[in-house]
Amino acid sequence: MKRRWSSLFTSSLLVLSLMVSACSSAPANQSQGENKPAENKPAEAAKPASSTTPADTLFVGITADQGTLDPAVTFDNGAWKITYPTYQRLVEYDGGTTEVKPGLAKEWKVSEDGLTWTFTLAEGNKFSDGTPVTAEAVKFTFDRTLKIKKGPADVYSVIKEVKVDSPTSVTFVLSKNFPPFLSTLAANYGGIVNPKVMEKEQSGDLGQNFLANNTMGSGPYQLTEWRKGEYIKLTLNPNSTVKPALQNIFFKIIPDATAQRLQLEQGEIDIAEGVPNEQLKALKELPTVDVLQKPSLFVDYIYVNSTKGNPALQNPKVRQALSYAIDYDALTESVQEGYATQMRGPIPKGLWGYDESAPQYKRDVEKAKALLAEAGASNLTIDLLYSDNKAWWETEALALQAFFSDIGVKLNLKKIAYATSRELIDKGEFDLAMGVWSPDFGDPYMFMNYWFDSVNFGLAGNRAFYKNDKVDELVRKAASINDKAEREKLYKEAQLITIDEAPYLYLYQKDFLLPVSKSVKGFVYNPMLEGIYNLAEMSK
Amino acid sequence: MRQIITKRLSMLVLVLLGVTLITFFLSHVIPGDPARMMVGQRASEETLQEVRRQLGLDQPVWVQYFTYMQGLLAGDFGNSIRTQQPVVDDLIKFFPATLELALTAFIIAIVIGIPIGILSAVKKDTGWDHAGRFFSIAGISTPVFWSGLIGILVFYKFFDLLPSSGRMDLTVTPPPTITGLYLFDSLVTGNWAAFGNSLWHLALPACTLAFAQLAIVTRQVRASMLEVLGQEYIRTALANGIHGPVLLFRYALRNALIPTITVVGLSFGSLLGGAVVTETIFSWPGMGKYVVESIAFLDFPAIMGFTFVISFGYVIINLLVDLTYYALDPQIKE
Repeated sequence: MKRRWSSLFTSSLLVLSLMVSACSSAPANQSQGENKPAENKPAEAAKPASSTTPADTLFVGITADQGTLDPAVTFDNGAWKITYPTYQRLVEYDGGTTEVKPGLAKEWKVSEDGLTWTFTLAEGNKFSDGTPVTAEAVKFTFDRTLKIKKGPADVYSVIKEVKVDSPTSVTFVLSKNFPPFLSTLAANYGGIVNPKVMEKEQSGDLGQNFLANNTMGSGPYQLTEWRKGEYIKLTLNPNSTVKPALQNIFFKIIPDATAQRLQLEQGEIDIAEGVPNEQLKALKELPTVDVLQKPSLFVDYIYVNSTKGNPALQNPKVRQALSYAIDYDALTESVQEGYATQMRGPIPKGLWGYDESAPQYKRDVEKAKALLAEAGASNLTIDLLYSDNKAWWETEALALQAFFSDIGVKLNLKKIAYATSRELIDKGEFDLAMGVWSPDFGDPYMFMNYWFDSVNFGLAGNRAFYKNDKVDELVRKAASINDKAEREKLYKEAQLITIDEAPYLYLYQKDFLLPVSKSVKGFVYNPMLEGIYNLAEMSK
Repeated sequence: MRQIITKRLSMLVLVLLGVTLITFFLSHVIPGDPARMMVGQRASEETLQEVRRQLGLDQPVWVQYFTYMQGLLAGDFGNSIRTQQPVVDDLIKFFPATLELALTAFIIAIVIGIPIGILSAVKKDTGWDHAGRFFSIAGISTPVFWSGLIGILVFYKFFDLLPSSGRMDLTVTPPPTITGLYLFDSLVTGNWAAFGNSLWHLALPACTLAFAQLAIVTRQVRASMLEVLGQEYIRTALANGIHGPVLLFRYALRNALIPTITVVGLSFGSLLGGAVVTETIFSWPGMGKYVVESIAFLDFPAIMGFTFVISFGYVIINLLVDLTYYALDPQIKE
């Protein structure tokens, strides 16, 4: 009997090892003979040979799939990656700067009072279906956005009327002077939509459902395939006047950072967006990969609830004490591997209005303790609200806890779900909360008016619930005149006050870091278009 | 038989009702405003209220539940807040990918696990037994994100044999959707290129997931086999000169399989729900990723849809498990 048993084991072992080999190299199953017609074809034909993707096709590794792509709805940088090259705007950001240049409009003029803006369209631009881009289409686009009334409509709420003067001329009448207006037209939500989208309208949605998954713009590219959860594919707009070198763009969804890094190393993708900072140093050493590093306008800061949270925080001295408690260099080193710059005030370096001479907080434990004593805030215990929305927040929270304990302030860490944290921040139910901010258009208005104007309490921007009549007056005035020099002066004055009163802990602006295959050429980083590629000018 | 099915089906309705009720109320007591997530942080209060009204979020929770159930009965899972698409469409898109991955992993786990289990039982306390148990325990105690990455390193980076992500190469057109299972659909339509390609993509994630499930199968088979082999009827059979494969497969295994089916059947349910990590590592476009993103967005309709499908799957699997019991041993009555 013993022998029989052992023969059974040997045979089952054989089966087992067969299974293992079949499973560890699946194409080998073709060699088992049952699927003769297939033979080696799929494996060899479909397998991308190492480090050679076609020269006319760009593969970008992204970390998550996108929601809606409708320019009148989306506020999401991830979606803008797709919509920016597929739509054109009246004006466009110029190269790597925050200034604008002509886009669909070849020229424009603004009335003295800043209330009427007239744009003359360049000829020859066509939507991907061949329909010419006319003044009607421009009017249609902005009317549609305002009717849909989602996020972007708020930015354009200043528009009273859009008038078609002729097929190539369009006039915007504003309800009040709004100096950043031109800059907002260069942002994603200024993308001009083909009016034919109305043929796709479903139950009065103005084509929202259709544009959530499709593009109908006049940009050099159009969306042609979207395998949900896998990739988004762009191809050329056949009617565009621009003839880019890259014919196909694949945005490949690869959520896992290591998988993404490996695919870049193997040459399967050309750009890897999802590689965390700590892995970049290893990538830099590779002969095939460059890591781009540029200062960004993306800031990471702490909202100090100045009116609704812990009463002690209503005293500016306590807020200053917290600002003095932080070791900014150690923080950026531990949280961002040093790929960040300490902020000087609300306006980040790289945007006009940035004040190089403004005072900057440095760690000073004695001064912080003295300020707390002056404020009579001894044995202070405060809460810090944050979520898992940003991977580095956990480390940042622990660092802050250590810094604050040095000045005798106990920091309770309250980590909650992202959606919940937004709700609590909106209502002002927190003491300190972590946040990030990046501008949609290139104007200090994006920082100064959103962060400090007391009409913007809550998620809208003033997340510190900060109110100072003088600051209100300054930022509102700066937002109502067209003279740039005068505006800059007003913003600088407001900055000095808000740095001194410290309603936010100004931590750092992140560097923009991107591992890119050395074969990719022509990418220009624009801090206003973070995460967006100038695909039409790029090549491989 | 018919009685069992009818009884179980009516239970199914009750279970699903309970599940929807609990999930619905739980997901609505979490603070957070999906309407706010949808309109963006800078939309006006007026827009926000308008969207709340459109989504029915301004209604009391029980009214919302009632409306939801009404839709559900008509086969309407509502619209996803995040993707703004009907949840049914999203589920139809993502469920087959998860099912295909889980099914393949399940089959691999059974095909490898049962022989190892038998081997371990029959060769109890020998080197074979230890090796088999070591292998399966290693599987269950290695986190999937680890074994997955090791798999990618070895088979993708070092040997360049297998792809590391996706269900299919970007250049290969998927087969027309019949079931949404690429392997099945391409097989039925005779699309060999697609079949080979999707099998090739499936290999690594399915083996990773199977490795983690292996222990459940082997341990159960081993334990049941040991129990069965110690029973009197086996000794009787032995005394009657029945041994070898006949004894093992016809007499012992058949009985040992009954408890195995329960455990393994239920483990399939957890495979379905637990493929999340595997899906992330291998960029597998399944439900796991979909639901994780939905939760972060407080996308109630999507979360509800996912829960509904998973619990439906569980109940159905349970039913199948019971029916198999019955088929294996007609003496078992309800």
